[in-house]
This record gives sequence, structure tokens and C-alpha cells, in this order.
Amino acid sequence: MKLATYNLRLQNIEKRTRQFMLGAIGVMLLVLAMIASRQDYFHRSTSIYFFTPNAQGLSKGMAVKFIGFKVGSVQDVSMQPNATVQVKVSLDNEYVHLIGQDAKARLIKEALVGESVVEIIPGSQQVKQVSQNSVLAFERGQDASTVVETLAAQLQPILSDVHQITSSINNPNGDVQQTLKNLNQASGSFRETVNQFTQLGASSNRKLDGAYGKIDKALDSVNLSLATLDKAIPRLVDKADTTFENVQSATADIRKVTNESAAEIPALVRNTNSLVQDGQETLGGVKKSWLFNGMFPKPEEQMLPVDGYVAPRQP
Amino acid sequence: MGFRSHVAILCSLVLLSACSHIEETRSARQERATEFNQRAQRAFLRGEYQSAADLYGNALQLDVAIENVNGIATNMLNLARVYQVLGKPALAERYLDSLLEDKALHYAPAQLAAAAVQKSLLRLQENDVAGATAWVEKSAGYCGPDCTLAGVIDNVRAGIALCANDADRALQWSEHAASENKGSSQLEYANSLRLTASARLMKHEYDAALHLSEEALAIDKTQGLPEKIRQDLLLSAEAHDKLGHAEQAAQFRDRAARIAATALK
Repeated sequence: MKLATYNLRLQNIEKRTRQFMLGAIGVMLLVLAMIASRQDYFHRSTSIYFFTPNAQGLSKGMAVKFIGFKVGSVQDVSMQPNATVQVKVSLDNEYVHLIGQDAKARLIKEALVGESVVEIIPGSQQVKQVSQNSVLAFERGQDASTVVETLAAQLQPILSDVHQITSSINNPNGDVQQTLKNLNQASGSFRETVNQFTQLGASSNRKLDGAYGKIDKALDSVNLSLATLDKAIPRLVDKADTTFENVQSATADIRKVTNESAAEIPALVRNTNSLVQDGQETLGGVKKSWLFNGMFPKPEEQMLPVDGYVAPRQP
Repeated sequence: MGFRSHVAILCSLVLLSACSHIEETRSARQERATEFNQRAQRAFLRGEYQSAADLYGNALQLDVAIENVNGIATNMLNLARVYQVLGKPALAERYLDSLLEDKALHYAPAQLAAAAVQKSLLRLQENDVAGATAWVEKSAGYCGPDCTLAGVIDNVRAGIALCANDADRALQWSEHAASENKGSSQLEYANSLRLTASARLMKHEYDAALHLSEEALAIDKTQGLPEKIRQDLLLSAEAHDKLGHAEQAAQFRDRAARIAATALK
């Protein structure tokens, strides 16, 4: 009797253990299925490749976007025997028909400060669509620091030209300063001569002749100075022209960069704003917590001190 | 009692103190009003009076909207003060009147005393001795035993006496005010010294007047108040003039004129 009961209990335990094991295996399978689904194992995809001289900024799992939508991800980044980097991209089959063989892959940042993604730049519609193991051309988008470096490099010669022109004008031995000095001297002697002429009047022909001689000399000197200035000015104008050309090209670049980042800047400002707001809220929360609230005096509306001074009335 | 018991008691006390603490709740609007007020205070100290007036205006609007009586009084008094400095006494007086004649809201006596004494100063500026006297006495009536405006009120009384050419009374009030203000407010102490100097000049005590105006000048320079520095220099010039130091008097007037040329108050 006792043995029968024992066997029954044993069978019962065995049955429960089996049920538990089956349940555990079921849960494990479910988890595996979820992981597989997450890893896109059930997704039909097409693998394509691109090659780059270095792997900087590229990583496995990175999003691949096409006109702003996620269409795949980077599956693998590996070094080739010829020291180039092969990047394997898995594209969702749903979107493959939109991407031509002449499309390009470009590494960009989603915002000035943000995640890097691989953007597929569409090719022409007429070209055949990409297929399994197609190879796309690759290029790197400019990030904020590169843009700033480029602009700085372009502005440097402009500043140096401006500096050179200013120095040339300020140089006491330079053409411009010398010409101005000569002009000054010439106008001084001219004034002196006119004074002499006024004082003497027409009474002395001899002296008048001398005065005319001096006027002639002064005018010659003025002519000479103007000739020097004539020579100096075209050189300066040429230099200024070059500088203005440089300025124009730099301005065009700045405009281009501004246009390109126009969409990103508001997002950046919004993000920064929310970051600051979060910081303020956190600080506010800390200030209000009972442990710290004694350390931060609560600001109150303040009254200006009453000033018993009466300004005397103006007469 | 072991170490653990001590720690347990300490922790319990800390927790109890946390429970006993009642956090004062303030609305976001009230905090915004406080922020405007503080920005206005800083603008006033920098001498940016118009921007201070705008900011006090914003704070007042918020305080009226949430009926923060203390804030309403504070900002109305501040606006009156700013407009007085900006040379708009009529506007300043309007703010003071709306505070002093308000029947719906009840303000603290100290705030009413401040409003009344400011009103008295404005009346005095208009040479209305009777009006100034009435308002300064009202202010003294609002001013309780712990009122901090006693020194200001005595200075205004001295100013009224000077305006009425009563040198003895002016000297009496200004010296009284000086003793009250000496330890509490440098700003008011310098005012008292200037008033005493004027009273001494009126009494032909030129050396004493010169000494007082120089002391006031040193304080006003530390406070960075151009209008008052100019006034001190003019007082010194007048004293030098009366003492027969024409050259020194001219120098002081020249210094005063240079300050006036900056048009800073």
C-alpha cells in the first residue's frame, strides 16, 4: 500500500518537473524569437557593401537612412588584406527598389551634435536597382569642426592681406606716406609763395619772378607726388581686389554652410534648450529637497532703500 | 547605550526633523515676479534706470495678477523711486498715491511709512513745504518702534526746515538724523552730513560746512552717486567762496561741472 502511494507521488513529481521544463523551454524559445526579431533575423534583407580608407565614425549596428527614413543598418565593419575597410550594410528589401546602383553612401551626423548615421544619397532613377552584394561609393560628410577649420583656413589669407595693406599705408617710408608728406611740403611752400606774392604785390618784378619760380617748383613737386601716388594706388587696388575676391569666396562658403545647417540649428537650439531646462529642473528639485533647502536662501522681492535726498531745484 | 543605539537615535531625529519641515509653496508666477524684481534691482544699481523701471513694471503686473500684496507694495515703491530718479515726479507720485489711497488692499505700516516719506520728498522737491510737512508727519505716524525709516524721516524734516530758511531747526534735525544713520546707513548718513553742511553755511559757519561736505563727498564717492558727489562739490565751492578762497572755489565748481557734463545720476 505504502509503495503504491510512493510510486504515485513519484509519478506526480515527474509530471510536474516535465511541465516545468517544457514551460522553461517555451519561455526560452520565446525570448530567442524576440531577440531574433529584434536582430531582424525574420526580416528579408539585401546586403550591400562599401569601402573606405578608414573606419573612423563607423560602427556595427549604426543606422542607415534614406531620405530621412531608417532603411537598414551596418552589419559588419572589417579590415581587408589591402588595409582598406569593408562595411557591410543590410538594407530592408522593402526599400531596395528605390536605391540605384549609382547611389552613394555618406557618413553624416544627424545634427551638429548628434549620432552619426550612414545616409544613402539616391542615384538616378534610370539605373538598375542595387542587388545582393552590390558595392556603393562612399564619402564622408563634413562635421562641425571640419567646417570651422575650412573657414578659418579661408579667412587667414584675407586677414593677412588686410594686415599687409594697413601696414603699407601706415609705413612712414611707404609710397602713400611719402607722397602725403611731399604733398604737405608742397602745399606749405605754395602757401608761403602766395603770402610773399600778396605782400610784395606787383611792385617788384624781380621778386615776382622769384615767386613765380617757386610756384612752378611747388607745382612740379605736386606733380611728382601725384605720379608716385598714381603708381602706388594701382598696386593697392590690385591687392584689395584679391582680398575682396577672397572675402567673397569665404562669404559664399559661409552662406552654403549656413544653408546646409539651417535645418539642424533649430533642432540643436531646441535640444540645448531642453537640456538647460532639465538642468534647471534638477537644480530646482535639489534646492527644494529638505536636506538642501536650508542651504539655498529663498529669494524675496526686495525694496530699494528710501533715499532722503532732495535734489535742489534748478533755477 | 551602545554605538548602534546612538546611531539609531540620531537617524530618528534627522527623520523627525525632515517630517517637521514644512516647505513653503510658491507659485511659478510668484517666482517669476521675484526674478523680475531681482533683475530690476541689479539694473538700478548699475544706473540703468529705464530698464529697471520696465522690469519692476513686469514684476508688479505679475504680483497684481496673483494678488501678492507684499510684492505689489514693494514694486510700487520701487517704481516711484525709479521714476523720481528718472526725473518724472508726476509718475512717481501716481504710484505712491495708488498705494496710499488703496482701500481694497491692506499694506504693512512700514510700507505705508516708506510711501508717505517718498511722497513728502516729492512735495519738497516741488517747494511745497506744507504738503511735505503733512506727509512726513504721516510717515512718522506709520513708523512703529522697530521702523527703520526714522533716520530718513529726520533728514526730510531737516530738508523741509532748510527750504523754509530755518537754519537752527535744520541743524537740529540733521544732526539728530546723522546720529541715527551713522551706524545703519551710509547713504542716509551722507545725506545728513550734506544737510548739516547746508545748515552750517546758512549759519555762516563755513569751516564746519567745508569739513562736513568733504566727509559727505568721501562717502558718496564710495557709493558711486554722481548727482550727490556734484552736490557735495558745490557745497565745498560755496564754503570756499565764503572763506575768500576764490581759486579753490573755482576748482570745485569746475569739478562739479565735469560731473554734470556726464549727465549721469
